[in-house]
Amino acid sequence: MFKNYLKIAWRNLVKNKAFSFINIAGLAIGMASAALILLWVQNEVSYDQFHSKKDRLYKVYNRSVFDGKLHCWASTPKPLASTMRTEYPQVEDAVFISDNNFLFTAGDNKLKADGYFTDSQFLTMFDFPLAEGNAKQALSGIYNIVLTQKMAKRLFGNADAMGKTVRVDSTANFTVTGVLKDLPNNTAFKFDYLVPRAYMHKLGWEDPYWGDNSVTSFVLLKPGVSLASMNAQLKNFTRKHSNGHEDVDVFLYPLDKWRLYNKFENGKPVGGMITYVRMFSIIAAFILLIACINFMNLSTARSEKRAKEVGIRKVAGAGKQLLVGQFLGESVLIALIAGVFAFILVLLSLPAFNQLTSKELAIPYASGGFWLITMFFIVLTGVIAGSYPAFYLSSFKPIKVLKGTFKASNALVTPRKVLVVTQFTFAIVLIICTIVVKHQINYAQNRDIGYKRDNLVFTLMEGEVQKHADAIKNELLSSGAAISVTKTSSPITQSWSDSWGYSWKGKDPDKKLDFNSFTVDDGFTRTLGLKMVEGRDIDVKTYPTDSLALIVNQSAAKVLGFKDPIGQTVKYNNMNWHIVGVVNDFIMESPYQSVAPMMVHGPKGWFNFIHFKLNPANSTAENLKKAEEIFKKYNPDYPVDIKFADEDYGKKFKSEQLIGKLASLFAGLTIFISCLGLFGLATYMAQNRIKEIGIRKVLGASVTSIATLLSTDFLKLVIVSFLIATPIAWYSMSEWLEGYQYRVHLQIWVFLLAAVFTSVIALLTISFQAIKAAVSNPVKSLRSE
Amino acid sequence: MEKYYRTEEVETIALNKLSMEVKEGEFVAIMGPSGCGKSTLLNILGMLDDPDAGSYLFNGTEVANVGERKRADLRKHNIGFVFQSFNLIDELTVYENVELPLIYTGVASSDRVKRVEEVLEKMQIMHRRNHYPQQLSGGQQQRVAIARAVVNKPKLILADEPTGNLDSSNGNEVMELLTDLNEQGTTIIMVTHSEHDARYSHRIIRLLDGQTVMENIMI
Repeated sequence: MFKNYLKIAWRNLVKNKAFSFINIAGLAIGMASAALILLWVQNEVSYDQFHSKKDRLYKVYNRSVFDGKLHCWASTPKPLASTMRTEYPQVEDAVFISDNNFLFTAGDNKLKADGYFTDSQFLTMFDFPLAEGNAKQALSGIYNIVLTQKMAKRLFGNADAMGKTVRVDSTANFTVTGVLKDLPNNTAFKFDYLVPRAYMHKLGWEDPYWGDNSVTSFVLLKPGVSLASMNAQLKNFTRKHSNGHEDVDVFLYPLDKWRLYNKFENGKPVGGMITYVRMFSIIAAFILLIACINFMNLSTARSEKRAKEVGIRKVAGAGKQLLVGQFLGESVLIALIAGVFAFILVLLSLPAFNQLTSKELAIPYASGGFWLITMFFIVLTGVIAGSYPAFYLSSFKPIKVLKGTFKASNALVTPRKVLVVTQFTFAIVLIICTIVVKHQINYAQNRDIGYKRDNLVFTLMEGEVQKHADAIKNELLSSGAAISVTKTSSPITQSWSDSWGYSWKGKDPDKKLDFNSFTVDDGFTRTLGLKMVEGRDIDVKTYPTDSLALIVNQSAAKVLGFKDPIGQTVKYNNMNWHIVGVVNDFIMESPYQSVAPMMVHGPKGWFNFIHFKLNPANSTAENLKKAEEIFKKYNPDYPVDIKFADEDYGKKFKSEQLIGKLASLFAGLTIFISCLGLFGLATYMAQNRIKEIGIRKVLGASVTSIATLLSTDFLKLVIVSFLIATPIAWYSMSEWLEGYQYRVHLQIWVFLLAAVFTSVIALLTISFQAIKAAVSNPVKSLRSE
Repeated sequence: MEKYYRTEEVETIALNKLSMEVKEGEFVAIMGPSGCGKSTLLNILGMLDDPDAGSYLFNGTEVANVGERKRADLRKHNIGFVFQSFNLIDELTVYENVELPLIYTGVASSDRVKRVEEVLEKMQIMHRRNHYPQQLSGGQQQRVAIARAVVNKPKLILADEPTGNLDSSNGNEVMELLTDLNEQGTTIIMVTHSEHDARYSHRIIRLLDGQTVMENIMI
């Protein structure tokens, strides 16, 4: 029987080539899209799930009230991890990681890489397997270094790296004591090497302050220890060790939530990546459903052609169940063929998809589970696609179909119309979402950021740059490469520091207010192109006391509440800082959020970056060449890495741009699949109405009126879809925009644009068949009837 | 039996308290003008439809208003159908069309080959076994349809105007085939408009407005 089913299914496929093409192409594109999304989703949900002790691993979080709101953050003081380890018997181990970026030299090879300072227990707490070396001892010596295989290859080529010496930052020689297998693509830990925390101490970068939240700490609890009881005990941990000075709660956050639930509101996790995981899972399901709907619609549209077969089979003794099985078998066969094409499509598009999503997704060929899931996915698709047609076709009354009196329903609401409306509703929702996301990105990109990005560049002060900073600054100016230079604590595109340790006359002692802090030297406002609202720029040469000068932004001035801020004193780090100026608000953090209050400190602090404005009189290449020569002269061991502020600022839009691109991609695919189905449906509808068209033409109907008649039915469905899609899209996008303080308002034109766009696309799809039917010779159609 | 067709506004009586009996081995022709209820009767006899009232005893078993599964089961083991428009599946070859009822009755593959070939030989259509219905003449198609109807050795063959789409020569051949089958013991009930074809039967039942108006015994 199965052979018979297979035979007839195959012959039907071959006989109805257009129908088969539309079904297979639609299903293949739908399956490939869903598979790509599911690969991405699988990657996201599997983040750091490979650690064997994952159920006992926690990240340490702080929680405190600022400006009346409960805030949570994951950076902690440096002594926290080691203190927890010694004070709590429930803690099996605790480590911290601190980012660094060193210059490595091995023979003639010089390269910069990112890595962590960490405790020696890092390699036993987490499952980053060593290809060579001993996890327990690899980081035990101060000058030990563990490299990833990739990093080892970059430094030593194909030679064995173990035991070799590598020079770090031209200051110390390290021995390679371990080579790690390359990190999997589903870990939040990103490093090329690990160096011991002892080296951080040696450099003088480790401090005992409980108010300096600058590292990420992790805890491994002993088996059976309850998280709730541990969190209750840890609540006042920092408070206790800072003698009450740091008013923060400490809590442990489980590993399975690090990636997906890392967004907190008022002290509670409210989501994070899980929002996008859910959103794209829904999109995957709908794209697949839309492809399945094509199959359902085309299969049922062809019902009159297959009705005779159903009748004969029933008369020959086939029961409904057998026929359901036959039709489901056919759809599974089509799904299998589509599955093969989908697999090829995934293979071909994966590199581009990886580039788009900045991932390294790969097909796990060696995994039996993968193939099992793939087969399940294909069969499930076949069953979903075939279920409605199978039950519909198998329910035909043999008398009617064999007597030729069977006619498909043309009721006001038919399942087929409902399915078309479902397809277009989803497509319109996606189109509206795409327009809104793009509109929001454009809106934020066009926001006045408060400083001038053109010709503004910056570079990290590393190696000998710190020592020769003044000379470099002078040469940049005298060479004509730059027209203005300033040193800063962080790049203008990122805020690295904030504090609630500011006090001033008139401050409410019960209020804890947080300020971003930024350290600069001379030429700050001129280099960045900021506007002084009041007062003046920092100028240590003219005013030597300016090393303790303070410039506040407008938001900070408002928070401080001084009637006349210039000349007022603010206490910070046991020093009195005097306000010399008020500068306009400028964006260092998210362009979607309001500007935080900021204290810009005079050059008493530590500098990490040099910002300079390239000379507009020269070409950029010329300026950069001169600048590179100057940096090379004073810091010959380090590669020169000059970054453009506008490019770096552009990275802030990366995640929204990704969502925008993915939304456009999947909206496009959804429209394409839907139109593929619509095209097929229009073909069958035109064939079914051929006699009616003939009679109308004989009676004098024009081609236009017939084409309009045939198109109107479909356009009505698109309009219904629009009416359903509008509130769904409005609600979803309102929710999405809620996450941004600086956001667009939903406007009617967005919805109208989506409606017009969908209608035009649908009309173009249908019109080909409508016009073809309308211009056909009525004599032929009436004679054939 | 009674059977009504209803629309929102009109109720049409298709079978009006019709009563009849067909004995095993009989060849009965049912005649009457269009709309008299011939096809309705044949559909009910073939268990493709249910009567609205009354009783239908098939081989002594009440089959009126039994479930779809039971009807399909009774049908596939006991009844063969021959239609005016042949009703062959276009996507299957002659052999595969004839094989279909055997598949549904669960006959083993090797047995199926034997039985299909046997019946194709009998219908003199063996040489066309690998052809598709569109590649055959009307007469040949009806032979295939009869082969399909008899391959399961049914007790009853229901023929709905079996010669309606055939010329006289092919029509006669089909009637000869049905007569042969009847002589071999198969009961045949045939709906026809043709007095000529009806003469092949043992008995003619004439219907008008859903009722039996006359019965002719053929000598």
